[in-house]
Amino acid sequence: MSAAQAHRPVHVGDDGALRDVAEAISANWAALGVRGSFLARNLDTGEQLGFDVEELMPLASVAKVPLALVVLDRIAAGDLDPATPVTVDPARSSVGPTGLAAFRHPATVAVGDLLVLMLSVSDNAAADTLLGLVPVAVVDARLRAWGCGEIRLRHRMNHMYECAAGAAGNDFSLALELALRDERTGRHTIETLDPAYANAGSAVALVELLRRVWCDEISVPSATAELRRLMGLQVFTQRLASELRADTLRWSGKTGTFLHLRHEIGVVEAESGDRVAVAALTRADRRAGLAPDVDLAIGAAGREAFEVLRR
Amino acid sequence: MDLLAHLEAYVATADETSFSRAADRLGIAQPLLSRRVKTLEEHFGGLLFDRSRRQITTTELGVLLLPYARDVLDRAQRLRQAAGADGRTRTRTVGVPAHCAPAALARAIRAAAEHGITLGMCELPPLDRDSGLADGSLAYALVRVPAERGAYRVPLGLASAAEPEAADGQRALVLAGARRAVRFEDLRPRRGRGAGSAAVLPVLTLPEDQVPAHEDRLERAAARAGLPPARFRPAGSAAGALAETLAGRALLLCAEPFARQHGARWAPLGDRSLHRGYDVRAAPDRTGSAEVPHWLVPLLASAVGAARGPAAARSGTGAEDAAARLAARG
Repeated sequence: MSAAQAHRPVHVGDDGALRDVAEAISANWAALGVRGSFLARNLDTGEQLGFDVEELMPLASVAKVPLALVVLDRIAAGDLDPATPVTVDPARSSVGPTGLAAFRHPATVAVGDLLVLMLSVSDNAAADTLLGLVPVAVVDARLRAWGCGEIRLRHRMNHMYECAAGAAGNDFSLALELALRDERTGRHTIETLDPAYANAGSAVALVELLRRVWCDEISVPSATAELRRLMGLQVFTQRLASELRADTLRWSGKTGTFLHLRHEIGVVEAESGDRVAVAALTRADRRAGLAPDVDLAIGAAGREAFEVLRR
Repeated sequence: MDLLAHLEAYVATADETSFSRAADRLGIAQPLLSRRVKTLEEHFGGLLFDRSRRQITTTELGVLLLPYARDVLDRAQRLRQAAGADGRTRTRTVGVPAHCAPAALARAIRAAAEHGITLGMCELPPLDRDSGLADGSLAYALVRVPAERGAYRVPLGLASAAEPEAADGQRALVLAGARRAVRFEDLRPRRGRGAGSAAVLPVLTLPEDQVPAHEDRLERAAARAGLPPARFRPAGSAAGALAETLAGRALLLCAEPFARQHGARWAPLGDRSLHRGYDVRAAPDRTGSAEVPHWLVPLLASAVGAARGPAAARSGTGAEDAAARLAARG
């Protein structure tokens, strides 16, 4: 019904076959009205494929991965005790559909378990409680000290809700309309959709972060090992995990969903030893909260990339 | 010089590539026609026709001026119509959608004659009917309005091939049990058993449904049902779209009579806010009032196959949206 915008993705691929797969993925996404960036890299051979890998995107809940790494780094350094109990009162905490954010009564949870909630069910209240212990500016400074490229943390999770509700008054459909309209004009009414003000990052920076986490080349091994374990606990499987579910494969990922944004990053590890990191960051030109075909197309892309990149 | 008569001679000669046939067509003597062409050539200072061969041909200048000449004649024709329209015997043009029932339109024409009015029916796309009322070229028109606001409603539904081939029986799944209403979420591709062999059929839309407000609604309803926008595309011609549909290669959004008339299966859309809504409106007269004769309204409505009364209020527009939907999820 609406004409797809004439956007030509810039493809990367280490040889013709990889580039062909990248082109097939971007064509498949475009047919569904999806734009975005994609990068998959074999962590052992370094071979990779993707497109528009340097485009900056608001990260939505994908930002919980670098946040978790910084918190785990503080725990490893002894600045924070994972057993410390924290009381979270839903009346004063962040909005969200899962975990503590969905609770109706105060709960006391240990810091280490806040990490579990944040990465397994994408709990916004858990994430913002952790940001109460390690402020946003500290997280951001740590990431820059690590040299995490364009990954930036600028606000709490609830700021996304506040900006959307501020612009659209708790009307999801209206917020979605605004988001889609603003993509066309390039001027963002909802500030957290503007990569210049949002928690933002690029596919290449996120894949590099995953590589360093999986190869123990960032923070300390106890922190990266715990992050790998926690990412393996994610319950959502509709996106990249959808086509990578088998007893012989292990998917560790983190999704991110906000209005028209549908993201996931993660690493697939095969029994055979192959390890491929994937980042899929998308925006859809569609006025729908749920778009299972878009999720599936992201999943199909992850599988295609994994199969062509594994040895 | 009577420029119009001379241009008529020129255009007719160019069309007929013969002075004698052009003279026949205009009902004048050939010498008169030849003289007019010659006068025009002198007027423009160049030959319009090459007469050196047995079959006359149009010169470069003749080709260049032809569209302008036609334009002048068209405008003169419209000027005469507008002038004539003020007379007592004027024909009042009624803008109607494509594929109206001819018998019903005939009843409207006969009823008008009994009231001393001559009606002419003109099939037009919806936006042209609106602009026709505005510029006065139409006296009355069936105009598209949102289904819940129209005085009349035509159920919109999906036409599909009558007998799905057994070999690719998956297609039948699309409209299985066509007696019940179709919901857009039914059109999502099937996963699991038989998936892959099932063709994902595009949904074609007719010019009658290419109204911005309606398309916007349709797009949103499709998105909410989990369909990509590319599933829907405008049909080039109605006949072509119907052929694709009958061949089992597409679904066509249309009204029931159009589908049944051509032997397609048809089921209404369950979401009545997506049906076609119509009002009968008149062009404002000199006093600014726009009255449609009361006897004309139901006759025109029956020509589009409309049922009286607006559809139920729009359903599912998202009043249920909870705050959590606005937060970052997953």
